[in-house]
Amino acid sequence: MNKLAAKYLRPSQIPTKACHGCGIGMIENWLLQAIDELGFDQDDVVFGTGIGCVGRQTFATWGGDNFGATHGRALAVATGLKLAQPDKKYLIVVGDGDAASIGTSHLIHAARRNLGVTVICEDNMGYESTGGQFSPTTPSGYVTNSSPYGMVEPPFDPCDVVKAAGATFVAETTATQWHQTVKIVKKALQNDGFSFVHVRFPCNENFGAYALGTRDTLKNLEWIYEHTQGRKADGSPADFTWETGIKHDASNSRPEFSKLLRDLNERVRADLAAKAAATTAKSSS
Amino acid sequence: MATVDPALLPNLVAPWSEWERRATRGRRLLEAGTYALTEGAIAAGCRVFAGYPITPATDIAEYMSKRLPQVGGYYMQAEDELAGMHMCAGASLGGLKAMTATSGPGYTLMHDAYGWALTNEIPLVVVDAMRVGPISGITGAPGQGEFYVARYCTHGGNFETIVLSPSSVQEAFWLTIDAFNLSERFRTPVTILTDQVVSDMWEDLFVPDSTEPLDFVVPRALNLSMPFYPVGSAALDVPPNVIGHGTGVCVSAYTHTEEGYDIEEMEAQWAQTYRLVNKIRHHRAELSRYETLGLGDAEVIAVAYGANARTVKTGVLEARRRGVRAGFIRLITLWPFLDSLFERDARYVVCELNYDGQLVREVMRAAPDKRNVHFMGKSAELHTVAEVATALEGVARSGRVPELPFIWTEV
Repeated sequence: MNKLAAKYLRPSQIPTKACHGCGIGMIENWLLQAIDELGFDQDDVVFGTGIGCVGRQTFATWGGDNFGATHGRALAVATGLKLAQPDKKYLIVVGDGDAASIGTSHLIHAARRNLGVTVICEDNMGYESTGGQFSPTTPSGYVTNSSPYGMVEPPFDPCDVVKAAGATFVAETTATQWHQTVKIVKKALQNDGFSFVHVRFPCNENFGAYALGTRDTLKNLEWIYEHTQGRKADGSPADFTWETGIKHDASNSRPEFSKLLRDLNERVRADLAAKAAATTAKSSS
Repeated sequence: MATVDPALLPNLVAPWSEWERRATRGRRLLEAGTYALTEGAIAAGCRVFAGYPITPATDIAEYMSKRLPQVGGYYMQAEDELAGMHMCAGASLGGLKAMTATSGPGYTLMHDAYGWALTNEIPLVVVDAMRVGPISGITGAPGQGEFYVARYCTHGGNFETIVLSPSSVQEAFWLTIDAFNLSERFRTPVTILTDQVVSDMWEDLFVPDSTEPLDFVVPRALNLSMPFYPVGSAALDVPPNVIGHGTGVCVSAYTHTEEGYDIEEMEAQWAQTYRLVNKIRHHRAELSRYETLGLGDAEVIAVAYGANARTVKTGVLEARRRGVRAGFIRLITLWPFLDSLFERDARYVVCELNYDGQLVREVMRAAPDKRNVHFMGKSAELHTVAEVATALEGVARSGRVPELPFIWTEV
């Protein structure tokens, strides 16, 4: 077991049940690097997940406190938890289904409220644990098991959505960008507010096999790399380009949600106490 | 000289019959059921409310938004009911007592969270102020359409649920404290199934002073060590799990181990189900809350719960005045179903606010002879005293509920 896994993970849950060549374990290792470089202990971080490949493969791997919410609801659970335990760091590791489809409304409103959590959206561009159906982040035209003639819907970029909703830190990386991802996750964790990091990664078994025609991990990684560069290995232009990097950084620029509620409490209770004191003074004079 | 027939004194079996005698200092108010539900929650130690506005439960949200900050609590207006109940589950997992309130359309959306809270044994309280349906129905009219929905409030089976129903504003206050206590002791969400009439009506309400120590309130305890899930055990009073204390607890939607991580084994499925079902089934007596009247000599017994139990009870007294040996059972605990109340070989007339017949099916199952169980369904309006008295008279004299306008007798 690597040193970071020994320090942070739950030995009984390692290795995960992820498929051969899946990017989830690699990205989790990068998250551990960021956590370690920031000096956090197991007890400082609450690890929340959802449902699907990313939820199932990462849930309970964290050695500290964990929750695996129902599909899409990790951020709703985290909203309640953050109120009760405001001093913890929340790492919410979810897939594209959780973040960009079934749980999008919670994503948008957590961003709007500036809830103090870091969402890592690990995006394998489809519903892969159910056998490879398209999702709102599958590129148009690509073949999946529920788009055998090519996906006809346009996808959307979840980074645009959370930025518009008010997220204070938004970034996009891919499974081909190790050091950049670690740096970005470190920045995300230092924002006392809503941070969103979108990380695309390859699925060999479904997206790779059906959309790209290969179960070869390196070829699938190469396809992702080409689309971050805008050109293929042979120099010809890619069919589209993902812009990676920090897309919006307004870290610590506005109050975190649970703090707003705590401040409200203080104001209301101070007003109550002042009123009570005034009433006492009046009745005694 | 006026005499009181002891057979006609109501017999209330509920913990608050004793609490009422102990809490003496307080305020007498004229208030709504929604106010009583809110103050009951706050007295029970509720410090988080997350919900979505919906008639007739909205006033609970509004009262909470005013009251919670005053007592150091938090009001959250969720983006939908799915979020509302998940937020409550999250807050409870963090160690704060939490409640949400809704009506049928929102309650349906909460089933996702209900299952999650139930399997993870997270204490919290859900209020469903029922209105007539299906779906939006008539927003300002009472219904009792969620009797089974509240029992089977999530999918997948392998669980029991606790559901309580008040029939007055004062009872709504005490029952809310009771609901919180049960949710802590049984480590499960508890539903308060109330209705538009009890929520919206204004009545006499006694609220104990906040300085009055309510020693019957079960405080939140924290489980700081393994096992986090006592699978295979029906034990009560296991402290709830807490996230944020570094215990390493795992909470999820999956069939779990004692530690809480997911496992796909028959033994684990069996042990988890044993826990979720039997912690409730094996403690039915501790969950038994009801009111009876006139059962001593009764040959025909009216059965009801919630708001319409009030007119049904008066209907029973009217039937007795007409010479019918009538009795009355008001269920407060709806689930687990109190089968033992229906062991007597009598005729039962089940009055409920729906035409399809829900409570009546459980009474048919529990009673010695289902042919002696009669249905009296009405929808969107309470049963009148005259209707109930006439029905009881008809059943006593001719063995059937007579034809009455807007009353449904076929099940």
